[in-house]
Amino acid sequence: MKKSLRFGTAIALAATASLTLASCGFGGGGSGGDAEGDGTTLDLLVPSYSDATQGLWEDVIAGFEEENPDISVNLEVQSWDNLESVITTKIQGGEAPDIYNGGPFAGFAADGLLYPAEEVVSSETYGDFQESFLANAEVDGTAYALPLIASARALFVNNALLEQAGVAAPPATWDELLDAATKISALGGGIAGYGMPLGSEEAQAEAAVWLWGGGGTFGDADAITVDDPANLPGADQIKKMIDAGATQADPGSTDRSPLMDIFIQGKIGMQVGLPPTVGQIEENNPELDYSIVPIPTQDGSPFTLGVMDQLMAFQNDGDKQDAITAFFDYYYSSDVYVPWVQAEGFLPVTKSGAEALGGEEALAPFLEVLPDAQFYPSTNPQWSATDAAFKALFGQIQTKPAQDVLTEIQAQVDAG
Amino acid sequence: MSTSTDTSSTPAGAATGRPRTGGAGSDGPAARKPGGRDLLASLPWIGPALILILGVVLFPAVVMFYNSTRDISISGLDKGSVGFDNYVEVFSFPYFWPIFLRTIVWVVVVVGATVLISLGLAQILDKAFPGRRIVRLAVIIPWAASVVMTTLVVYYGLEPYFGIINKFLVDVGLIETPEGYGWTRNPTTAFAWSIVVAVFVSLPFTTYTILAGLATVPGDVVEAAKMDGAGPFRTYFSVVLPQLRGALSVAVLINIINVFNSLPILKVMTGSIPGYDADTIMTLIFKYIQNQHKVDVASALSVVAFLIVIVIVAVYVKVVKPTREV
Repeated sequence: MKKSLRFGTAIALAATASLTLASCGFGGGGSGGDAEGDGTTLDLLVPSYSDATQGLWEDVIAGFEEENPDISVNLEVQSWDNLESVITTKIQGGEAPDIYNGGPFAGFAADGLLYPAEEVVSSETYGDFQESFLANAEVDGTAYALPLIASARALFVNNALLEQAGVAAPPATWDELLDAATKISALGGGIAGYGMPLGSEEAQAEAAVWLWGGGGTFGDADAITVDDPANLPGADQIKKMIDAGATQADPGSTDRSPLMDIFIQGKIGMQVGLPPTVGQIEENNPELDYSIVPIPTQDGSPFTLGVMDQLMAFQNDGDKQDAITAFFDYYYSSDVYVPWVQAEGFLPVTKSGAEALGGEEALAPFLEVLPDAQFYPSTNPQWSATDAAFKALFGQIQTKPAQDVLTEIQAQVDAG
Repeated sequence: MSTSTDTSSTPAGAATGRPRTGGAGSDGPAARKPGGRDLLASLPWIGPALILILGVVLFPAVVMFYNSTRDISISGLDKGSVGFDNYVEVFSFPYFWPIFLRTIVWVVVVVGATVLISLGLAQILDKAFPGRRIVRLAVIIPWAASVVMTTLVVYYGLEPYFGIINKFLVDVGLIETPEGYGWTRNPTTAFAWSIVVAVFVSLPFTTYTILAGLATVPGDVVEAAKMDGAGPFRTYFSVVLPQLRGALSVAVLINIINVFNSLPILKVMTGSIPGYDADTIMTLIFKYIQNQHKVDVASALSVVAFLIVIVIVAVYVKVVKPTREV
C-alpha cells in the first residue's frame, strides 16, 4: 500500500513536470472587453519593429483618441518571435484583437475571420494605396488586408574591402559576385566575401534572393511550387558560393541579425540588407565606407525581394466596424502615416506617402528597385507552412544536395 | 499460521483491543471499514491537494489529449475530430525515431554525468576545510541564475567573431580560423555543448541532495570500517555509497523528469540549426507549435512525451526500487 502510494506520487510528479510545457499554450487572460462607458474599445496587436515602435503607436493612438473621444484603443506590442503564437492563442480563446499588424493573413481570411479591406476604410484611403501592394493582399479578388509598410532588399557593399581585394566595381551578376566574394574571402583574417544567412531566423528571404534571382518562384495564390526545376539554378549557385569558400563559415545555421552586425563591423564584403540597415550602420559604425547596389542576379536583370506587412481587422462582434474604419482613416492620413513610416525606416505603401518621401536620400536606392519587386506568395493559405518549412529546412543546403532540400521543403508544405 | 497460535494463546479479553489487520479471514471486511471512514475524515485535509492535482495535472492532460484528436487550423480554430491522425503524423515523421533516440541519449548522458560529478563534489563539500561555506555557496549559483541566462552566456561565448570562449581557443591556438569555430552552428557540437550546459545547471540540486544524504551517514559506521582496515575506496563503495541510496534515487528521478522536459537550453543552443539533427522531443514540440502552428500535432507529440516519461519513471522505480528502505 505504502509503496504504491509513493509510486503514485512519482507518477504525479512526472505528470506535473511534463505538463508544464504542454499547458503553456492554454488559455489567455481575459481582456476586459468594451466596458468603458458607452464608447468602443479597439484592441490593437502589433509587433515591435524597433525600440521606437511602442512610442510611435502611442502617439498615433493619443492623436486618434483626441479626435474620437468615444473610441479608446488598447495597444499590445509583442516581439516578432512571439507574435504569431500570441495571435493564434488569442483566436483560439475567442479573444482575437480588432486590429492586427502581421505578415501572413491568408489563413485568417480562409477561416473567414477578417473584414474585407474595402469595408474598413473610406474609399479615399483605399484609393491611396499603391495598386501592386493591394493586389498582393487579395484572396480570390478581394483584398483582406491593408498594406502597412514595404521593404525591399538591396546589396550592401563594403567599398574598402572590395578595393583591398582588387575588385573594381560592385558585382551585378552571379559570376561577378562569386568572383568578387572569393577574392575578398582570400584576404584572410576572418573576413568573409559574402554574408549568407540561411539560419532559421529568415531563411526564406535569402532563399528567395537566390532562387528567384535565377528565374525561380515559390508559387502563387493557387499552388506552392518550391520543388520546381526553375529553382535549381539558384540553389546550385548557393552551393557553388559555399563550396568556393566565398561565404562566412556555416552559412546554413547563421541568423541574419547577428551576421548583419558583423557586416557593420566591417568584416564582410557584401550582404543583402534592408532599408533599416542604413540606420543601424549610422548608429553603430558611421565610419563604414559602404554603398547600396541592386542585388546581383543570374543574368544581371533587375530584381528585388519585396516584403509587405499588413494591417487587418478581425470580425469580432460586428459592431466595431465604424470605429475600425475611423482608426484606419486617421492612421493612413498623410500627416500621421508618413512620419510613422519615416521613423521606422521602411518604405511607404500609399501614393501620398511615396510622394512625401520621394526626396529621402537613404531610401532612394530602395525606391529605385521597388518596381521590380517580387513578393512571397503570401495570399496562398499554405504560405505560412512554406515559410516555416524554409526556416526549418533550407539551411541544410550547406550539406545536402540542393534537389533533396527542395523536395523535402515541398513535402513538408504539402503535408501541412 | 502464527495467528492461530496468537488467538489461542491470548485470552478472549484481548480481542476487545484493536484487531490486527491480516487477522482471521472473517475480520477482513470489518477491518476495511474504518479505512474508508478514515479517508472520508481526512478529505478536508487532502482535499485542497487533490483539487490542485486535478486542476494542474489532470485538467491540462485531458485538454491536451482532447486537442491531440482534433484538427486545429493554422489560425487556431477547431475544425472537428480527426481521430488519431495526428499520432500517425507524429510517428510517420521521418526524423521521429532519430529524435527519440537522441532524447534518450540526452537524458542518460546528462543525468549520468550530473550524478557522477555531483557525487565527487558532494564528497569534497562534506569535508571540513577553510572557506567551505563560500565554496558551498558558489555551487548554488548556477541554480540561482535563470537557465536561459546561463545558456545565453555560453551561447554568446561560443559565437564566432566575438564569442569569448571562441576567442580564447583561437588565441591559445587550438583553433586555426581567426573568426573561431561555429560550435553552435553544427548539430553535433551544439548538442554536445548543450549537454555541458545541462549538466552544469543540474549540478546544484543534485549535489545538495547528495550532500544531505552524506550528512545522514553515521560517523561511527565510517570509523568502524576504518578500524576494520578498509581503505578509503573500500569504505566509500561498501559503506558510504549504499547509505546514499535514498538521496541518489530522489536526485536521479527528479533529474530524469527535469532533463527530459528541458527545452530552453536546446532551444537557445540549437535554434538556428536547420533540419532536425539536434532536436529532442521537447524541441520538436516547440517547433510544431512555434514554426508550423500545428497545435494539434504538438498535442499528440506531448501526449507521447508524457507517456514516455511515465514509462521511464516506471521502469526506473521497478528496477531500482528507490523506495525500498535501506
